[in-house]
Amino acid sequence: MTHPAVALSAAPVEPVLELDDIQGIAVPGFFKPHQTLLGLRVPVGANAAGNFKALVRALAVEVTDGRRTLLDRRSYRDERHKTQTRHRIESDVVLVALAFSNGGLLQLTPGAAAIDSEAFQLGMAARSKFLGDPADPHAEGHPSRWVVGGTGAELDALLIVAGDHRDTVTARADVLAHAVAAHEIELAYREDGDVREDPDRGHEHFGFDDGVSQPGIRGRGSDAPNDFITSRRVAPTEIPASWLFGYPGQDLVWPGEFVLGYPATSPDPLMPGPPSRSVPHWTRNGSFLVFRRLRQDVGLFWRTMRELAASLTERPGFTGLTADALAARLVGRWHSGAPFNRTPGGDVPELGGDRHANNYFTFDADTPPVVRVNGTPDPFPALMAKADPAGITCPWAAHIRKVNTRDAGSDMGARDSTYARRLLRVGITFGKSLADRFAHLKDDPDKGNRGLMFLSIQSSIEDQFEFLSARWINDDARPKAGGHDMLVGQNAATPDGVRRCTLFGAGLQEERVTADRQWVIPTGGGYFFVPSMSALREVLAR
Amino acid sequence: MALLKRFDPPAFFTDFDDIRGQREAWHEYVSHAFDEAIASERPKLRAGETVQFYNPAKDDHGAGIDMAITWNAFPKELLRAYGRARALVIADRDRSVLTEYCEWHVERDPETGAIVRVTFTSEPPEYWEAMYGGPLAYDQAGKKTVKFPGSPREVLRRYQELVSPHVQAHDLLADGTYDPLNKWNSTHGIMHLSASPNSLTAEIQLGADATIAYRNARGEVLVEPEPLICCAAFGGTDRNSDPTIGATVNALARLGAMITLANPVGLYMDHIDLTGWSAPKGVEIEDCVRVVRGDARKRMIERLVVEVPRKSAFTVSDLTIAGAPVAFGGQIAECITVKLVGTASALGSVNNAPSACGSRCCVDPAHFVALGEPIPNDTPAPAGTVVAFALEGGEPAPHDVARAAGAGHLGALRGHRLASRERIV
Repeated sequence: MTHPAVALSAAPVEPVLELDDIQGIAVPGFFKPHQTLLGLRVPVGANAAGNFKALVRALAVEVTDGRRTLLDRRSYRDERHKTQTRHRIESDVVLVALAFSNGGLLQLTPGAAAIDSEAFQLGMAARSKFLGDPADPHAEGHPSRWVVGGTGAELDALLIVAGDHRDTVTARADVLAHAVAAHEIELAYREDGDVREDPDRGHEHFGFDDGVSQPGIRGRGSDAPNDFITSRRVAPTEIPASWLFGYPGQDLVWPGEFVLGYPATSPDPLMPGPPSRSVPHWTRNGSFLVFRRLRQDVGLFWRTMRELAASLTERPGFTGLTADALAARLVGRWHSGAPFNRTPGGDVPELGGDRHANNYFTFDADTPPVVRVNGTPDPFPALMAKADPAGITCPWAAHIRKVNTRDAGSDMGARDSTYARRLLRVGITFGKSLADRFAHLKDDPDKGNRGLMFLSIQSSIEDQFEFLSARWINDDARPKAGGHDMLVGQNAATPDGVRRCTLFGAGLQEERVTADRQWVIPTGGGYFFVPSMSALREVLAR
Repeated sequence: MALLKRFDPPAFFTDFDDIRGQREAWHEYVSHAFDEAIASERPKLRAGETVQFYNPAKDDHGAGIDMAITWNAFPKELLRAYGRARALVIADRDRSVLTEYCEWHVERDPETGAIVRVTFTSEPPEYWEAMYGGPLAYDQAGKKTVKFPGSPREVLRRYQELVSPHVQAHDLLADGTYDPLNKWNSTHGIMHLSASPNSLTAEIQLGADATIAYRNARGEVLVEPEPLICCAAFGGTDRNSDPTIGATVNALARLGAMITLANPVGLYMDHIDLTGWSAPKGVEIEDCVRVVRGDARKRMIERLVVEVPRKSAFTVSDLTIAGAPVAFGGQIAECITVKLVGTASALGSVNNAPSACGSRCCVDPAHFVALGEPIPNDTPAPAGTVVAFALEGGEPAPHDVARAAGAGHLGALRGHRLASRERIV
């Protein structure tokens, strides 16, 4: 893959993103260890619309733009490099984002009705059945029982406050909540999300390192040719790898998939497609935000893994299978984030922790070696992934294969179909860790109240979040035949209420794994639009 | 795994059982189609290399892994060309654009315009031509045929039963032979696939073509579905189906496997996903979807009808998917998964050298939404186009590179390609 004769200047010309106008939660994204979400509802009343507009005017100056967020990100990276820690020791930076549901936007401008998104207009509660949520109103996941954003209780706006320390985030959230109250707007929801404590920092509650497969955004922060928003970590001589990836394996996706008005995906990842549509005009530099509050039943997940592994280990080809190894197959990664098909024999924490290596693998062919930007090769040459087109090593139902088919085709065709589904995930865990991961609810002091505040940025709710949830995660034959997503899939989406998938044993024995219960339960959420800074000031606050 | 004794009709249909010699003729026809496809691959290989596609009725390569290859029924070609809103309109009007091996016909109430029935099929035209009887070609040139005993009466009976009681025997004919595009399988109804790419022999040929590995100018083996199909030109580049089928088969072939299609060879609807569907009060969604031909349990659906039970006052237009009323048959097609099943055996038994690309895709960089037909490498690229996947598989011909100057980074890409070729050749 090395071609020293080729100059980096021949790489695709990436657009300059208007970071002063894009909210920082969209580009480059808040990736802070502490967040507080504030959900607002406009009460019925004569002055309510005026009060809401006045509040938006007051809040607009609090919102953090992409430029400031990127500066903070770069400063964090520098500090991390110096201190070799994953979190900041000293920082009082607090970032704020403001997003609106369709109902909220319509109270600020009737032009919002022209936003071309059926999903946004209907809202998450109305679409929850499509996402696979239970139709039974007595079930926990039914929108009538959600703790936030359920049927008849949809939010009008969502404030997201993020920072490096819990106390500074709480203090800023208090100030914002006070402003909300002062404008006689209802604070319908407030909840904190915090990364888990070491050694599980960055891991979701089942224990897996989260966000490892986050895509990169193509685009620059200025006219400078190398002012890339997503850092380039592949040696420039590695072509096309250095033009395709940020970190090795981190797909660079055209920005129109995340922000309206910019070039989006084309069939060739090195060539831009037409821009994502921004109608009405003030939606340019805006994005859609999906918030989904997902409760995770950690005890149920791990007890099920233990039971299934114990059963499978009696079968030929599965001798010695442990709960952790089974879970790693179903996720596609080990706890550390190490990809299963790079190290099928067991976790390698050093690999999982190496961002230059933990996302570098393909499925349909042997993964070729790659040189990193510092000139060194992948440090795990004996653990390069082998071709696995039939899902023999890493099952096709593994979560990471369900949502990103990488070099393989899907039921929707080739690579652009995967690129056009990618999300920027900016969410965070909530609740305290469960000390005994096998514990039953009755022995859990927090009664199972832990999980993920899933937040994602995209330019199309239908083609990205909803497509991934409804069409790939919850379908047993898409993107490839092999089963349901056993990690986050929803049982109500299956015809018989059972999720199942196929695993291969050491001698190619085929076994089916089934689950008649789910351990990720939707408990709230909503569809929101993140307007540009100028739209906030000049359209929505006026 | 023993030799396959007989190729069965798609979905193990029993229509042929009462026609003497029909099942034998079908076996002969499918077997010949396999042999023809295998023979067409031989010239692409070097001396001593093995064609990795095989006829399971003639060769036994041991136990294999069955692999369902799935794709969505709504035509991606339309989505790329027009976007979803227009694509939904066009797809309901013109069967010839339904190129994903699944076609549908929408029946509307002439007064209200409401959809009263949508019928989907994945049955290959060859099956119905065979059932009618007469010679049926199994080769690309249309010269080699198998003669089917057939039963025109049985075909008419089936049309009257499944499409309309008004079907007349002469409606089905053109120039005295069965017309696959007769009005009851085009403007007035639907019986089987009719768009030109949607055939059983095309499926078999694609399976065979996709077993050839290809390399780009730097000697790297092609992997990604679209660079591969642009290079090998084995099907429609802008479809859901062909790039995925091709890349999946090709990936198994690169592992040195022997590959065939599972019996019964066919194109099937795997399932319809009813998640998020809602019906008016008193109507159950499950009662609105009927598998009329094929086997839903075995996931070999050949004919599927969406229709609100007649006793109800509602229509299909009163159903909703994800909260949106059903206004087009295409919305239902978006919920349908189509498939074929391949079998890979004897992994690692073959080690053919990859071949050089024979074509490339030339695209409009100013409005790049589709790849279009691959263009042979010995043919100049159309004016105003550039070569897609220039670093992966799309191998610009020298005349492409000569025209490249001044085209920004794309020109540089093509320059790089030339440099690479010069170093290697």
